[in-house]
Amino acid sequence: MKTPALLQKFFGKSATGITVKDSLLTGYARVGAQEVCVIGTCDGTYINNAAALRLAGHILDCIENRPKLPIVMLVDSAGQEPNRTAEMLGLASYFGHLLSCLQLARQNGHKLVTVATGKAIGGAFLCYGMFGDRIDALDSASLGLMPIEAMSAVTKIPAPVLEKLSRTMPSLEFGAKPFSLLGGVEEVWSKTDDYAAKLAQAIAAASPADNRAALGKKRGGRKLAL
Amino acid sequence: MSRASLFHEQTARQRIASLVDPGTFHEFLPPPERVMSPYLPLLDIPVSFDDGLVIGRACLGGKPVYLAAQVGQFVGGSIGEVHGAKLTGLIQSAARDAIPCVLVVESGGVRLHEGSSGEIAISEAMRAIFECRAKKVPTIAVIGSDIGAYGGMGILTTCCDFRIMTEHGRLGISGPIVIEKWMGKQAYDSSNRALVWKTSGGKTKYLIGDADMLAGDDAGSVASAIETLLGKSRPLTLAGLKSRHGDLDSRLKTFGKTSDPHELWSGLGIKDTPQASLASAKEFVALAKRKVK
Repeated sequence: MKTPALLQKFFGKSATGITVKDSLLTGYARVGAQEVCVIGTCDGTYINNAAALRLAGHILDCIENRPKLPIVMLVDSAGQEPNRTAEMLGLASYFGHLLSCLQLARQNGHKLVTVATGKAIGGAFLCYGMFGDRIDALDSASLGLMPIEAMSAVTKIPAPVLEKLSRTMPSLEFGAKPFSLLGGVEEVWSKTDDYAAKLAQAIAAASPADNRAALGKKRGGRKLAL
Repeated sequence: MSRASLFHEQTARQRIASLVDPGTFHEFLPPPERVMSPYLPLLDIPVSFDDGLVIGRACLGGKPVYLAAQVGQFVGGSIGEVHGAKLTGLIQSAARDAIPCVLVVESGGVRLHEGSSGEIAISEAMRAIFECRAKKVPTIAVIGSDIGAYGGMGILTTCCDFRIMTEHGRLGISGPIVIEKWMGKQAYDSSNRALVWKTSGGKTKYLIGDADMLAGDDAGSVASAIETLLGKSRPLTLAGLKSRHGDLDSRLKTFGKTSDPHELWSGLGIKDTPQASLASAKEFVALAKRKVK
């Protein structure tokens, strides 16, 4: 689905309040009657220093000017940009800054709600979306650490071996369902769901306590984390 | 263990033994308890009885601390389900008991063999770090090994109140080999150790302000750096984050077009790069004249 159409499904007409620039989303919109702050990525973009800084800047604006407004994080990013200059200038610190801004928002009473809409991979998911109070995903989203071919290249374990194991090991399988078995996603939405209604429910249900280890144990995907 | 040993050559247990007051370390879930990875045997990979992480409590300079040290020799100090759960549990205990938490980092990030489980575990550990920070319980990352802090572990250390590095430590997300594959050998030759360390090493990170302290490569120097930070914390405030935002913004504006680390060093006031490269930590700190916040 194209980004404008997707935003329309979440936010209706108020989607016009969201700026889409360089595959980054920042703005304010409405979910039903509830005003929300929105940050996100689209087009499976890579996140670099400037991108992390832009998202962090919007969170700071929200904390300062729109107290306690829920923050919606949409994730469609293939990862951090593997780039030497980015590393030299401290990409990790830019990500840490974004996380720190989100934490201050949490402490100041903003709810943090994530929906993984496309790719939600590695550091790009870790640096904001995974930090939500409540994390949901579309059933079509690709969640995971890295695709099996890449994992095979680094670990030198043949891809067919990993492929076979992934069928019984949700942590190696890519996708929204296996990620939810591990407790990393609360609820998986189907494409026939009413996204605006689902998002409103997610915001209402969001709680700042981290329940992922308990959820992973209950669902049987991650038994030893608790 | 003599305090004259090189910190970057020590093992995780040697590092702990040489950092803390003698005889005060009490390990949680030690190797005899056999808390191990459930995934590695399925891939025919040997397990480790501590899953590559030593955790426990001790005294440092007479003050209580919770400590974790990663075992770089075991799958690169990587974070799997058990390793991650031990780390998160330790940090949560620190928050609960209001005892400072010291992470002696040596990790390439998530253990690929355990996939998303390790990734979620790092995210949980980050939440625990911020729980400490909300309670003004100091969280201190020590990065003093060649493996350094990469991937999710690199990001995690930037969530802590403070980072102490030695010149041997490296801090980043994508490692040189991955970047070389992505950008080509011309852009990043991962076998060029000088370039790798100038990109991600402790001196560069201290210079740009991502490491708070640069310690010598011996447990004594690292221990005294930790001691100076034990009573301090950096609570998150809007003013503090706005100021940090400005710093990161101007760093990008000033150096965003530079790919040459020497330009970065000279731009940050290092006049004689070869001399500074060879300088000891103490000499380098004097040369850097960084305003410590």
